[in-house]
Amino acid sequence: MTAPDLYVYAILPAGLAADALGTGIDGAPLRLVDVPEGVAAVVHETTSGPYQGPDEDAKRWILEHSAVVERAWDITGTALPMTFNVLVRAGDEGTATETLRGWLRDSAVQLRGRLDALRDRVELRVDITLDRDRAAQDEPEVRALAAELDGKPAGVRRLLTKRLEKLQRDAVDAVADRVYPEYRRRLVGLAEDISEGRRGGRAEGQVPVLSAALLVHRDRVQELGAELARIQDEQPAAQIRFLGPWPPYSFSELRAPGASTA
Amino acid sequence: MAEPASLQPTRDPRVTLPDLVEVLLNKGVYLNLDLIITVADIPLIGVNLRATLAGMETMLEYGMMRQWDEKTRASVRRSIARQVPLLPDEDVVARMPGGVYADDFHHSWRPGTVYLTDRRLFVFRREPAELLWQAPWEHIRTAGLHSERAVGGEQRQRLRVELVDGTYHLLSTADPERLLNLVRRHLRGVGGPPGAGAIAASAAPLRESHAWYQERRAGSAVWRGGTARLDRRTGLTWRSPLDGRPAVNLTPRDITGVELRPARTPAGDSVVMAVATRDDTVLLAPDDATEWAALIRETVPEGAPRHELTEVQVGAHR
Repeated sequence: MTAPDLYVYAILPAGLAADALGTGIDGAPLRLVDVPEGVAAVVHETTSGPYQGPDEDAKRWILEHSAVVERAWDITGTALPMTFNVLVRAGDEGTATETLRGWLRDSAVQLRGRLDALRDRVELRVDITLDRDRAAQDEPEVRALAAELDGKPAGVRRLLTKRLEKLQRDAVDAVADRVYPEYRRRLVGLAEDISEGRRGGRAEGQVPVLSAALLVHRDRVQELGAELARIQDEQPAAQIRFLGPWPPYSFSELRAPGASTA
Repeated sequence: MAEPASLQPTRDPRVTLPDLVEVLLNKGVYLNLDLIITVADIPLIGVNLRATLAGMETMLEYGMMRQWDEKTRASVRRSIARQVPLLPDEDVVARMPGGVYADDFHHSWRPGTVYLTDRRLFVFRREPAELLWQAPWEHIRTAGLHSERAVGGEQRQRLRVELVDGTYHLLSTADPERLLNLVRRHLRGVGGPPGAGAIAASAAPLRESHAWYQERRAGSAVWRGGTARLDRRTGLTWRSPLDGRPAVNLTPRDITGVELRPARTPAGDSVVMAVATRDDTVLLAPDDATEWAALIRETVPEGAPRHELTEVQVGAHR
């Protein structure tokens, strides 16, 4: 029989009882691999390798993975989440558990430092976009062209509509450039770290302004919500998605000692 | 006016699923790759499929080295150092076959291996051993792709590396785009999204250069690296490649004054510009703050309140 690999969900401070965590992906029983240095990993044993399958399954697995991370994080107040599909494989030198223990021991100082730094911090996702039609409606050029459209033959209208869309896009892009520095400043003033988005502008007719993950102290979530409400109030064309609070997925990367935050 | 009710964040998976999927596939701890991948492909943790399927060489080509742990890096370093003279503690992030155009009396392509390390970009030839070209990261201003007709007549993409001294150099490799991405990631930290924003490419600016910008966050102020740009019409902008849009975007009319101040930046003790607006002061540290400040003063319209354009004497040496 093959020695089992370990699927890893998160790194935590040691001392938690595994039965508090429930079950993992596909109902897998969870256990904790810990070391005297004070850190532990939440894992389940597997012999079937990394998860692979249709998107629907992958989504379910990812939700189950994140549910374990969130439960652990809710109980311990701090956690370093692993990405999906992280396995510790048994090697020539020992079982997967021994390999993982060795690594936890070697990295304990760094891991504990990061866990402490992230205690009581949450990740919030903020996505601000501008509704193109709404944000552009007051631009004089856009108005003039929109008025011109009326009563034109279909072919001309098609051409003018194209032109109108471009005018709107450029106008709203300029608005976005104007408001971005201020929004960023206001949000980042409440956050300890920020990681700007990889997405944004998904929805048709929406111009992205700012898409970011923010690392915020638990006690300041409300303040951030209030700031977003003010932004919404000042800018009716803004659409704001506000997600979380999550474990600090985007901020768990271990930095090399001495690395700057720049 | 009444204060609007605070927005509440949502954890509802029906809303957050796409974001969760993205974050769990792309973020979180990459310890996986850290733990991992000893050169002899033994304990393989972190089965990021890309990583497991790829051989060591391929992983190096993809620039994965910096995600590995110290032991793994040390072993790779040793094996590479047998072939290439590296600086003490220098880490190779990626390498690939390629060459450099020698613009001296040779006027020819010199084949070798392109190495991208945490300190520099260089081209090395093994037999006979010669460092054909090198540039430390801090000397590289920008890099881009440059298309040219190769000897055989076909179009070839080259990597065009521009140095801070204004000279540029051409590197060749089988996959110039990948090299460009790796180079950019190094010049900028981690690759950012390509820019939206109308400011991006207008006519030639008065001045454009790397600059540090101080961002005030909860409990700290962080100096961030990026590009400052001054243009007579659009004004002063600063943008980090990691951000969606410029974090500083001041038209000439927004600027009410410029001061020079001594400050400590990641580049050491420097003179920085404090650019004042009606309700804020922006701190920017380009290499030559004095010249920048003079140029900014020139762009501010005549009607602007001149008396606010003060300059604080900064000791010549400190």
